[in-house]
Amino acid sequence: MIRMFHVRKVFGGNVALRDINLHVRKGEFAFITGPSGAGKTTLLRLIFGAERPSSGHILIDGINLGRISRKRLDLLRRKIGFVFQDFKLLPNKTVFQNVALSLEVMGERPAYVRKKTHQTLRSLGLEKKETLFPLQLSGGEQQRVAIARAIVRNPMLLLADEPTGNLDPDLTKEIMLLFRTIHMKGTTVVVATHSRELLDSTAQRKILLQYGQIIGDVQP
Amino acid sequence: MRHFVYFLRQAIANIKNNRLIHFIGLSTMAISILILGVFILLYVNVYGWIQRWGGSMNMSIYLEEGLGKKGLERIERFIKNQDCVLTYEHVSKEKAFEEFKEALGPQSKLLSNLATNPLPASFEVEIKADENQVIGLKELAKRIEKLDGVEEVQYSEAWIRRFKDVLGMVKVIGFVVGGLLALGALFVVTNTIKLTIYSRKDEIEILKLVGATDWFIKTPFLIEGMIQGILAALVALGGLYLAFVLFSAKKTTFLNLAAIKLEFIPWAFLAGIIVLSFIVGAIGSLIAVGRFFEVARS
Repeated sequence: MIRMFHVRKVFGGNVALRDINLHVRKGEFAFITGPSGAGKTTLLRLIFGAERPSSGHILIDGINLGRISRKRLDLLRRKIGFVFQDFKLLPNKTVFQNVALSLEVMGERPAYVRKKTHQTLRSLGLEKKETLFPLQLSGGEQQRVAIARAIVRNPMLLLADEPTGNLDPDLTKEIMLLFRTIHMKGTTVVVATHSRELLDSTAQRKILLQYGQIIGDVQP
Repeated sequence: MRHFVYFLRQAIANIKNNRLIHFIGLSTMAISILILGVFILLYVNVYGWIQRWGGSMNMSIYLEEGLGKKGLERIERFIKNQDCVLTYEHVSKEKAFEEFKEALGPQSKLLSNLATNPLPASFEVEIKADENQVIGLKELAKRIEKLDGVEEVQYSEAWIRRFKDVLGMVKVIGFVVGGLLALGALFVVTNTIKLTIYSRKDEIEILKLVGATDWFIKTPFLIEGMIQGILAALVALGGLYLAFVLFSAKKTTFLNLAAIKLEFIPWAFLAGIIVLSFIVGAIGSLIAVGRFFEVARS
Protein backbone atom coordinates (compact mmCIF):
# COMPACT_ATOMS: atom_id res chain seq x y z
CA MET A 1 0.00 0.00 0.00
CA ILE A 2 2.73 2.49 0.97
CA ARG A 3 6.27 2.33 -0.38
CA MET A 4 8.91 4.95 0.31
CA PHE A 5 12.35 4.88 -1.30
CA HIS A 6 15.18 7.08 0.03
CA VAL A 7 12.75 9.87 0.88
CA ARG A 8 14.24 13.11 2.12
CA LYS A 9 12.37 16.25 3.06
CA VAL A 10 14.01 19.59 3.74
CA PHE A 11 12.21 22.74 4.99
CA GLY A 12 14.43 25.74 4.36
CA GLY A 13 17.73 24.58 5.76
CA ASN A 14 16.24 22.04 8.18
CA VAL A 15 16.17 18.37 7.30
CA ALA A 16 12.83 16.97 8.52
CA LEU A 17 13.24 13.47 7.10
CA ARG A 18 16.33 11.71 5.77
CA ASP A 19 16.65 8.52 3.74
CA ILE A 20 13.28 7.02 4.67
CA ASN A 21 12.68 3.54 3.27
CA LEU A 22 9.35 2.12 4.30
CA HIS A 23 6.89 -0.53 3.20
CA VAL A 24 3.39 -0.77 4.70
CA ARG A 25 1.39 -3.64 3.25
CA LYS A 26 -2.27 -3.63 2.29
CA GLY A 27 -4.48 -4.31 5.31
CA GLU A 28 -1.70 -3.62 7.80
CA PHE A 29 -2.07 -1.59 11.03
CA ALA A 30 1.04 0.39 11.86
CA PHE A 31 2.03 3.01 14.40
CA ILE A 32 4.59 5.68 13.63
CA THR A 33 6.12 6.85 16.84
CA GLY A 34 8.86 9.02 18.15
CA PRO A 35 9.39 12.19 20.17
CA SER A 36 7.97 15.55 19.13
CA GLY A 37 9.84 16.91 16.11
CA ALA A 38 10.94 13.45 14.97
CA GLY A 39 9.13 13.90 11.64
CA LYS A 40 5.92 11.87 12.22
CA THR A 41 3.55 14.54 10.89
CA THR A 42 5.82 15.27 7.91
CA LEU A 43 5.89 11.57 7.06
CA LEU A 44 2.06 11.38 7.11
CA ARG A 45 1.76 14.57 5.06
CA LEU A 46 4.13 13.11 2.47
CA ILE A 47 2.06 9.91 2.28
CA PHE A 48 -1.09 12.05 1.89
CA GLY A 49 0.51 14.16 -0.85
CA ALA A 50 0.15 17.37 1.14
CA GLU A 51 3.93 17.78 0.83
CA ARG A 52 6.28 16.72 -1.94
CA PRO A 53 9.56 15.00 -1.03
CA SER A 54 12.78 16.95 -1.65
CA SER A 55 14.18 13.71 -3.06
CA GLY A 56 13.21 10.05 -3.24
CA HIS A 57 9.99 8.36 -4.33
CA ILE A 58 6.66 7.59 -2.66
CA LEU A 59 4.26 5.04 -4.10
CA ILE A 60 0.68 4.81 -2.82
CA ASP A 61 -1.22 1.81 -4.11
CA GLY A 62 1.29 1.67 -6.96
CA ILE A 63 0.95 5.36 -7.90
CA ASN A 64 4.10 7.46 -7.81
CA LEU A 65 3.20 10.69 -6.02
CA GLY A 66 6.13 12.47 -7.65
CA ARG A 67 4.70 11.95 -11.12
CA ILE A 68 1.02 12.44 -10.44
CA SER A 69 -0.96 15.47 -11.71
CA ARG A 70 -2.78 17.74 -9.27
CA LYS A 71 -6.14 16.47 -10.36
CA ARG A 72 -5.13 12.81 -9.98
CA LEU A 73 -3.74 13.62 -6.57
CA ASP A 74 -7.13 15.07 -5.58
CA LEU A 75 -8.76 11.88 -6.82
CA LEU A 76 -6.25 9.70 -4.96
CA ARG A 77 -7.00 11.59 -1.74
CA ARG A 78 -10.58 10.43 -2.03
CA LYS A 79 -9.29 6.93 -1.29
CA ILE A 80 -7.40 8.12 1.77
CA GLY A 81 -8.95 9.17 5.06
CA PHE A 82 -7.06 11.59 7.30
CA VAL A 83 -7.77 12.17 11.00
CA PHE A 84 -6.11 15.16 12.64
CA GLN A 85 -5.22 15.83 16.24
CA ASP A 86 -7.14 19.14 16.09
CA PHE A 87 -10.06 17.42 14.29
CA LYS A 88 -10.27 20.08 11.55
CA LEU A 89 -14.05 20.23 11.61
CA LEU A 90 -15.94 23.15 10.15
CA PRO A 91 -17.52 25.03 13.07
CA ASN A 92 -20.35 26.54 11.00
CA LYS A 93 -21.51 23.17 9.67
CA THR A 94 -23.43 20.54 11.60
CA VAL A 95 -22.02 17.12 12.43
CA PHE A 96 -24.02 15.69 9.54
CA GLN A 97 -22.80 18.36 7.08
CA ASN A 98 -19.18 17.89 8.15
CA VAL A 99 -19.32 14.18 7.42
CA ALA A 100 -21.43 14.54 4.26
CA LEU A 101 -18.83 16.93 2.83
CA SER A 102 -16.52 13.99 2.16
CA LEU A 103 -19.10 12.44 -0.15
CA GLU A 104 -20.31 15.70 -1.68
CA VAL A 105 -16.85 16.52 -3.06
CA MET A 106 -17.01 13.20 -4.92
CA GLY A 107 -20.25 14.28 -6.57
CA GLU A 108 -22.32 11.51 -4.98
CA ARG A 109 -26.11 11.64 -5.27
CA PRO A 110 -27.81 13.51 -2.40
CA ALA A 111 -29.87 10.42 -1.48
CA TYR A 112 -26.71 8.29 -1.24
CA VAL A 113 -24.92 11.04 0.73
CA ARG A 114 -27.77 11.14 3.25
CA LYS A 115 -27.98 7.36 3.60
CA LYS A 116 -24.26 6.75 3.91
CA THR A 117 -23.71 9.67 6.32
CA HIS A 118 -26.54 8.52 8.62
CA GLN A 119 -25.18 4.98 8.49
CA THR A 120 -21.61 6.02 9.37
CA LEU A 121 -22.68 8.34 12.18
CA ARG A 122 -24.87 5.56 13.61
CA SER A 123 -21.95 3.11 13.52
CA LEU A 124 -19.94 5.58 15.61
CA GLY A 125 -22.79 6.25 18.05
CA LEU A 126 -23.31 9.80 16.83
CA GLU A 127 -26.84 9.46 15.44
CA LYS A 128 -28.26 11.78 18.10
CA LYS A 129 -25.64 14.45 17.48
CA GLU A 130 -26.23 14.91 13.75
CA THR A 131 -27.81 18.34 13.99
CA LEU A 132 -25.35 19.73 16.52
CA PHE A 133 -22.36 21.88 15.66
CA PRO A 134 -18.81 20.70 16.49
CA LEU A 135 -18.37 23.19 19.31
CA GLN A 136 -21.43 21.75 21.05
CA LEU A 137 -19.64 18.38 21.32
CA SER A 138 -17.03 16.99 23.70
CA GLY A 139 -13.44 16.39 22.49
CA GLY A 140 -14.06 12.65 22.11
CA GLU A 141 -17.24 13.25 20.14
CA GLN A 142 -15.49 15.73 17.87
CA GLN A 143 -12.77 13.18 17.18
CA ARG A 144 -15.41 10.57 16.39
CA VAL A 145 -16.97 13.00 13.90
CA ALA A 146 -13.54 13.51 12.32
CA ILE A 147 -13.15 9.73 12.06
CA ALA A 148 -16.65 9.44 10.60
CA ARG A 149 -15.67 11.99 7.95
CA ALA A 150 -12.49 10.01 7.19
CA ILE A 151 -14.21 6.61 6.88
CA VAL A 152 -17.53 7.54 5.31
CA ARG A 153 -16.02 6.87 1.88
CA ASN A 154 -14.62 3.46 2.86
CA PRO A 155 -11.02 4.56 2.27
CA MET A 156 -8.34 2.03 1.39
CA LEU A 157 -5.94 3.88 3.66
CA LEU A 158 -6.63 5.70 6.92
CA LEU A 159 -3.99 8.08 8.27
CA ALA A 160 -4.28 9.53 11.76
CA ASP A 161 -1.99 12.18 13.20
CA GLU A 162 -1.99 12.07 17.03
CA PRO A 163 -5.71 11.24 17.03
CA THR A 164 -5.82 10.85 20.81
CA GLY A 165 -3.48 13.71 21.66
CA ASN A 166 -6.27 15.84 23.12
CA LEU A 167 -8.22 13.03 24.75
CA ASP A 168 -8.27 11.43 28.21
CA PRO A 169 -7.27 7.74 28.65
CA ASP A 170 -10.86 6.41 28.49
CA LEU A 171 -11.61 8.27 25.28
CA THR A 172 -8.23 7.21 23.89
CA LYS A 173 -9.20 3.56 24.38
CA GLU A 174 -12.55 4.21 22.74
CA ILE A 175 -10.95 5.86 19.68
CA MET A 176 -8.32 3.11 19.35
CA LEU A 177 -11.09 0.52 19.44
CA LEU A 178 -12.71 2.36 16.55
CA PHE A 179 -9.48 2.24 14.53
CA ARG A 180 -9.18 -1.49 15.16
CA THR A 181 -12.75 -2.01 13.99
CA ILE A 182 -12.03 -0.04 10.81
CA HIS A 183 -8.85 -2.08 10.30
CA MET A 184 -10.76 -5.33 10.75
CA LYS A 185 -12.95 -4.31 7.81
CA GLY A 186 -9.86 -4.27 5.57
CA THR A 187 -8.62 -0.68 5.69
CA THR A 188 -4.88 -0.08 6.01
CA VAL A 189 -4.38 2.10 9.10
CA VAL A 190 -1.32 4.22 9.93
CA VAL A 191 -1.42 6.13 13.23
CA ALA A 192 1.23 8.62 14.30
CA THR A 193 1.53 8.99 18.06
CA HIS A 194 4.08 9.75 20.75
CA SER A 195 1.91 8.24 23.50
CA ARG A 196 3.87 5.48 25.22
CA GLU A 197 0.76 4.14 27.00
CA LEU A 198 -1.03 3.74 23.72
CA LEU A 199 1.89 1.85 22.17
CA ASP A 200 2.39 -0.38 25.18
CA SER A 201 -1.26 -1.43 25.07
CA THR A 202 -1.13 -2.69 21.48
CA ALA A 203 0.64 -5.45 19.65
CA GLN A 204 0.72 -3.73 16.25
CA ARG A 205 3.71 -2.82 14.13
CA LYS A 206 5.64 0.16 15.49
CA ILE A 207 7.91 2.29 13.31
CA LEU A 208 10.26 4.41 15.42
CA LEU A 209 11.39 7.81 14.14
CA GLN A 210 14.08 10.02 15.60
CA TYR A 211 15.72 13.12 14.12
CA GLY A 212 13.95 12.38 10.83
CA GLN A 213 15.28 8.83 10.51
CA ILE A 214 13.74 5.40 11.08
CA ILE A 215 15.66 3.93 13.98
CA GLY A 216 13.48 0.90 14.61
CA ASP A 217 10.69 -1.17 13.09
CA VAL A 218 9.02 -3.55 15.53
CA GLN A 219 6.85 -6.13 13.79
CA PRO A 220 4.03 -7.76 15.83
CA MET B 1 -27.04 19.55 -12.69
CA ARG B 2 -26.54 17.85 -9.32
CA HIS B 3 -23.27 19.69 -8.93
CA PHE B 4 -24.78 22.96 -10.09
CA VAL B 5 -27.44 22.85 -7.36
CA TYR B 6 -24.70 22.19 -4.78
CA PHE B 7 -22.56 25.05 -6.14
CA LEU B 8 -25.50 27.45 -6.23
CA ARG B 9 -26.43 26.53 -2.66
CA GLN B 10 -22.83 27.08 -1.59
CA ALA B 11 -22.63 30.42 -3.40
CA ILE B 12 -25.85 31.68 -1.77
CA ALA B 13 -24.67 30.47 1.64
CA ASN B 14 -21.36 32.30 1.08
CA ILE B 15 -23.18 35.50 0.20
CA LYS B 16 -25.34 35.17 3.33
CA ASN B 17 -22.33 34.49 5.53
CA ASN B 18 -20.43 37.47 4.13
CA ARG B 19 -23.36 39.86 3.91
CA LEU B 20 -21.43 43.02 4.75
CA ILE B 21 -18.55 42.37 2.34
CA HIS B 22 -21.02 41.60 -0.42
CA PHE B 23 -23.19 44.61 0.39
CA ILE B 24 -20.20 46.95 0.13
CA GLY B 25 -18.97 45.28 -3.07
CA LEU B 26 -22.41 45.26 -4.63
CA SER B 27 -23.06 48.92 -3.76
CA THR B 28 -19.73 50.05 -5.22
CA MET B 29 -20.30 48.06 -8.37
CA ALA B 30 -23.89 49.32 -8.65
CA ILE B 31 -22.67 52.94 -8.43
CA SER B 32 -20.20 52.27 -11.27
CA ILE B 33 -22.97 50.80 -13.42
CA LEU B 34 -25.29 53.67 -12.48
CA ILE B 35 -22.75 56.22 -13.76
CA LEU B 36 -22.34 54.22 -16.95
CA GLY B 37 -26.14 54.04 -17.22
CA VAL B 38 -26.43 57.83 -16.92
CA PHE B 39 -24.00 58.22 -19.82
CA ILE B 40 -25.91 55.75 -21.94
CA LEU B 41 -29.20 57.45 -21.06
CA LEU B 42 -27.75 60.81 -22.04
CA TYR B 43 -26.40 59.39 -25.29
CA VAL B 44 -29.65 57.66 -26.19
CA ASN B 45 -31.66 60.83 -25.62
CA VAL B 46 -29.32 63.23 -27.38
CA TYR B 47 -29.03 60.78 -30.27
CA GLY B 48 -32.81 60.40 -30.46
CA TRP B 49 -33.30 64.13 -30.34
CA ILE B 50 -30.82 64.67 -33.16
CA GLN B 51 -32.40 61.92 -35.20
CA ARG B 52 -35.80 63.54 -34.83
CA TRP B 53 -34.61 67.09 -35.49
CA GLY B 54 -31.88 66.23 -37.94
CA GLY B 55 -34.14 63.97 -39.93
CA SER B 56 -36.36 66.90 -40.91
CA MET B 57 -34.69 70.25 -40.68
CA ASN B 58 -36.58 73.49 -40.80
CA MET B 59 -35.83 76.58 -42.79
CA SER B 60 -37.51 79.92 -42.28
CA ILE B 61 -37.50 82.26 -45.27
CA TYR B 62 -38.41 85.74 -44.13
CA LEU B 63 -39.93 87.97 -46.78
CA GLU B 64 -39.47 91.69 -47.42
CA GLU B 65 -42.22 94.11 -46.45
CA GLY B 66 -44.71 94.86 -49.23
CA LEU B 67 -43.79 91.91 -51.44
CA GLY B 68 -46.35 91.60 -54.25
CA LYS B 69 -48.29 88.52 -55.29
CA LYS B 70 -45.98 87.85 -58.25
CA GLY B 71 -42.90 88.01 -56.15
CA LEU B 72 -44.50 85.64 -53.63
CA GLU B 73 -45.41 83.16 -56.37
CA ARG B 74 -41.88 83.29 -57.80
CA ILE B 75 -40.37 82.44 -54.45
CA GLU B 76 -42.98 79.71 -53.84
CA ARG B 77 -42.21 78.18 -57.24
CA PHE B 78 -38.51 78.16 -56.45
CA ILE B 79 -39.14 76.38 -53.14
CA LYS B 80 -41.49 73.86 -54.69
CA ASN B 81 -38.90 72.86 -57.30
CA GLN B 82 -36.29 71.85 -54.75
CA ASP B 83 -35.98 68.05 -54.32
CA CYS B 84 -35.08 68.25 -50.65
CA VAL B 85 -38.24 70.12 -49.65
CA LEU B 86 -40.72 67.94 -47.79
CA THR B 87 -43.41 70.52 -47.01
CA TYR B 88 -43.74 74.27 -47.04
CA GLU B 89 -46.23 76.78 -45.72
CA HIS B 90 -46.69 80.45 -46.27
CA VAL B 91 -47.13 82.33 -43.01
CA SER B 92 -48.54 85.80 -43.49
CA LYS B 93 -47.64 88.71 -41.20
CA GLU B 94 -51.05 88.42 -39.53
CA LYS B 95 -50.79 84.71 -39.00
CA ALA B 96 -47.30 85.09 -37.58
CA PHE B 97 -48.60 87.68 -35.15
CA GLU B 98 -51.52 85.46 -34.09
CA GLU B 99 -49.23 82.50 -33.53
CA PHE B 100 -46.84 84.60 -31.49
CA LYS B 101 -49.75 85.92 -29.40
CA GLU B 102 -50.96 82.41 -28.79
CA ALA B 103 -47.50 81.25 -27.84
CA LEU B 104 -47.14 84.01 -25.28
CA GLY B 105 -50.38 82.99 -23.61
CA PRO B 106 -51.18 85.18 -20.59
CA GLN B 107 -48.30 87.47 -21.48
CA SER B 108 -49.87 88.32 -24.85
CA LYS B 109 -51.22 91.60 -23.38
CA LEU B 110 -47.74 92.98 -23.85
CA LEU B 111 -48.38 93.05 -27.59
CA SER B 112 -51.51 95.20 -27.34
CA ASN B 113 -49.42 98.37 -27.05
CA LEU B 114 -47.72 97.78 -30.39
CA ALA B 115 -48.84 100.21 -33.09
CA THR B 116 -47.80 98.01 -35.99
CA ASN B 117 -47.14 94.30 -36.50
CA PRO B 118 -43.33 93.93 -36.44
CA LEU B 119 -43.28 90.32 -37.58
CA PRO B 120 -42.38 89.55 -41.19
CA ALA B 121 -44.27 87.20 -43.51
CA SER B 122 -42.36 83.98 -44.16
CA PHE B 123 -42.22 80.57 -45.78
CA GLU B 124 -41.74 77.78 -43.23
CA VAL B 125 -40.02 74.98 -45.08
CA GLU B 126 -39.44 71.45 -43.81
CA ILE B 127 -36.43 69.90 -45.44
CA LYS B 128 -35.55 66.25 -45.72
CA ALA B 129 -31.96 66.08 -44.67
CA ASP B 130 -29.39 63.47 -43.93
CA GLU B 131 -25.93 63.84 -42.48
CA ASN B 132 -24.29 64.61 -45.83
CA GLN B 133 -26.76 67.28 -46.79
CA VAL B 134 -25.66 69.96 -44.38
CA ILE B 135 -23.35 71.61 -46.88
CA GLY B 136 -26.04 71.41 -49.58
CA LEU B 137 -28.46 73.13 -47.27
CA LYS B 138 -26.06 76.00 -46.78
CA GLU B 139 -25.82 76.45 -50.56
CA LEU B 140 -29.60 76.38 -50.90
CA ALA B 141 -30.00 79.00 -48.18
CA LYS B 142 -27.53 81.25 -50.02
CA ARG B 143 -29.42 80.88 -53.31
CA ILE B 144 -32.78 81.64 -51.69
CA GLU B 145 -31.31 84.68 -49.95
CA LYS B 146 -30.33 86.09 -53.39
CA LEU B 147 -33.92 85.90 -54.64
CA ASP B 148 -35.79 89.19 -54.93
CA GLY B 149 -38.13 89.78 -52.01
CA VAL B 150 -36.27 87.56 -49.55
CA GLU B 151 -35.11 89.39 -46.46
CA GLU B 152 -33.32 86.60 -44.57
CA VAL B 153 -33.04 82.81 -44.41
CA GLN B 154 -32.59 80.92 -41.14
CA TYR B 155 -32.09 77.21 -40.80
CA SER B 156 -31.15 74.72 -38.07
CA GLU B 157 -27.82 73.53 -39.46
CA ALA B 158 -25.65 75.21 -36.84
CA TRP B 159 -27.71 73.69 -34.04
CA ILE B 160 -27.63 70.24 -35.56
CA ARG B 161 -23.91 70.44 -36.11
CA ARG B 162 -23.31 71.54 -32.53
CA PHE B 163 -25.44 68.71 -31.17
CA LYS B 164 -23.68 66.23 -33.36
CA ASP B 165 -20.40 67.43 -31.88
CA VAL B 166 -21.85 67.03 -28.40
CA LEU B 167 -23.07 63.55 -29.29
CA GLY B 168 -19.62 62.56 -30.54
CA MET B 169 -18.13 63.86 -27.31
CA VAL B 170 -20.68 62.01 -25.17
CA LYS B 171 -19.82 58.85 -27.11
CA VAL B 172 -16.06 59.23 -26.52
CA ILE B 173 -16.49 60.18 -22.86
CA GLY B 174 -18.95 57.30 -22.48
CA PHE B 175 -16.44 54.81 -23.84
CA VAL B 176 -13.59 56.13 -21.69
CA VAL B 177 -15.68 56.42 -18.52
CA GLY B 178 -17.40 53.09 -19.26
CA GLY B 179 -14.05 51.38 -19.69
CA LEU B 180 -12.68 52.87 -16.50
CA LEU B 181 -15.83 51.98 -14.58
CA ALA B 182 -15.73 48.42 -15.90
CA LEU B 183 -12.12 48.18 -14.69
CA GLY B 184 -13.16 49.63 -11.34
CA ALA B 185 -16.02 47.15 -11.05
CA LEU B 186 -13.63 44.33 -11.94
CA PHE B 187 -11.32 45.46 -9.15
CA VAL B 188 -14.23 45.61 -6.70
CA VAL B 189 -15.48 42.11 -7.56
CA THR B 190 -11.96 40.66 -7.41
CA ASN B 191 -11.44 42.07 -3.94
CA THR B 192 -14.89 41.15 -2.65
CA ILE B 193 -14.43 37.54 -3.72
CA LYS B 194 -10.87 37.54 -2.39
CA LEU B 195 -12.19 38.62 1.01
CA THR B 196 -14.84 35.89 1.01
CA ILE B 197 -12.21 33.34 0.00
CA TYR B 198 -9.97 34.37 2.88
CA SER B 199 -12.91 34.20 5.28
CA ARG B 200 -13.35 30.56 4.18
CA LYS B 201 -9.66 29.64 4.14
CA ASP B 202 -10.07 26.89 6.73
CA GLU B 203 -13.00 25.39 4.87
CA ILE B 204 -11.03 25.38 1.61
CA GLU B 205 -8.13 23.63 3.35
CA ILE B 206 -10.49 20.97 4.67
CA LEU B 207 -12.15 20.58 1.28
CA LYS B 208 -8.72 19.97 -0.24
CA LEU B 209 -7.95 17.44 2.48
CA VAL B 210 -11.09 15.47 1.70
CA GLY B 211 -10.20 15.34 -1.98
CA ALA B 212 -12.13 18.23 -3.53
CA THR B 213 -10.76 19.25 -6.92
CA ASP B 214 -9.76 22.88 -7.47
CA TRP B 215 -12.79 23.47 -9.67
CA PHE B 216 -15.12 22.01 -7.07
CA ILE B 217 -13.86 24.68 -4.67
CA LYS B 218 -13.60 27.48 -7.24
CA THR B 219 -17.01 27.18 -8.88
CA PRO B 220 -19.16 28.50 -5.98
CA PHE B 221 -16.91 31.59 -5.86
CA LEU B 222 -17.36 32.11 -9.59
CA ILE B 223 -21.13 31.85 -9.19
CA GLU B 224 -20.87 34.31 -6.30
CA GLY B 225 -19.14 36.84 -8.59
CA MET B 226 -21.71 36.31 -11.33
CA ILE B 227 -24.60 36.79 -8.88
CA GLN B 228 -22.94 39.95 -7.58
CA GLY B 229 -22.55 41.24 -11.14
CA ILE B 230 -26.17 40.61 -12.08
CA LEU B 231 -27.53 41.99 -8.80
CA ALA B 232 -25.40 45.13 -9.09
CA ALA B 233 -26.68 45.71 -12.64
CA LEU B 234 -30.31 45.17 -11.56
CA VAL B 235 -29.97 47.49 -8.56
CA ALA B 236 -28.24 50.19 -10.65
CA LEU B 237 -30.68 50.01 -13.55
CA GLY B 238 -33.65 49.83 -11.19
CA GLY B 239 -32.41 52.95 -9.41
CA LEU B 240 -31.76 54.69 -12.71
CA TYR B 241 -35.26 53.84 -13.95
CA LEU B 242 -36.81 55.16 -10.76
CA ALA B 243 -34.84 58.40 -11.06
CA PHE B 244 -35.79 58.60 -14.74
CA VAL B 245 -39.51 58.18 -14.02
CA LEU B 246 -39.39 60.86 -11.30
CA PHE B 247 -37.41 63.25 -13.49
CA SER B 248 -39.40 62.80 -16.69
CA ALA B 249 -42.68 63.31 -14.79
CA LYS B 250 -41.65 66.92 -14.14
CA LYS B 251 -42.39 68.25 -17.63
CA THR B 252 -42.10 71.96 -18.13
CA THR B 253 -43.41 73.99 -21.00
CA PHE B 254 -42.23 77.28 -22.38
CA LEU B 255 -43.76 79.24 -25.22
CA ASN B 256 -46.09 76.31 -25.91
CA LEU B 257 -43.12 74.18 -26.91
CA ALA B 258 -43.56 70.68 -25.59
CA ALA B 259 -40.79 69.62 -23.28
CA ILE B 260 -38.24 67.30 -24.85
CA LYS B 261 -39.60 63.77 -24.71
CA LEU B 262 -37.19 61.62 -22.70
CA GLU B 263 -36.60 57.97 -23.48
CA PHE B 264 -35.22 55.32 -21.15
CA ILE B 265 -32.32 53.08 -22.19
CA PRO B 266 -33.59 50.60 -24.84
CA TRP B 267 -33.91 46.91 -23.98
CA ALA B 268 -30.91 45.91 -26.06
CA PHE B 269 -28.67 48.30 -24.10
CA LEU B 270 -30.17 47.14 -20.78
CA ALA B 271 -29.49 43.51 -21.67
CA GLY B 272 -25.99 44.53 -22.75
CA ILE B 273 -25.29 46.21 -19.40
CA ILE B 274 -26.55 43.16 -17.47
CA VAL B 275 -24.46 40.79 -19.61
CA LEU B 276 -21.41 43.05 -19.24
CA SER B 277 -21.89 43.18 -15.48
CA PHE B 278 -22.28 39.39 -15.39
CA ILE B 279 -19.04 38.98 -17.37
CA VAL B 280 -17.20 41.47 -15.14
CA GLY B 281 -18.43 39.52 -12.09
CA ALA B 282 -17.27 36.22 -13.58
CA ILE B 283 -13.85 37.54 -14.66
CA GLY B 284 -13.33 39.31 -11.32
CA SER B 285 -14.00 36.18 -9.31
CA LEU B 286 -11.93 34.11 -11.75
CA ILE B 287 -8.96 36.42 -11.11
CA ALA B 288 -9.55 36.21 -7.34
CA VAL B 289 -9.73 32.40 -7.19
CA GLY B 290 -6.83 32.07 -9.64
CA ARG B 291 -4.60 34.24 -7.46
CA PHE B 292 -5.68 32.48 -4.28
CA PHE B 293 -4.99 29.00 -5.62
CA GLU B 294 -1.65 30.12 -7.05
CA VAL B 295 -0.60 31.44 -3.63
CA ALA B 296 -1.99 28.35 -1.87
CA ARG B 297 -0.04 26.06 -4.20
CA SER B 298 3.31 27.83 -3.88
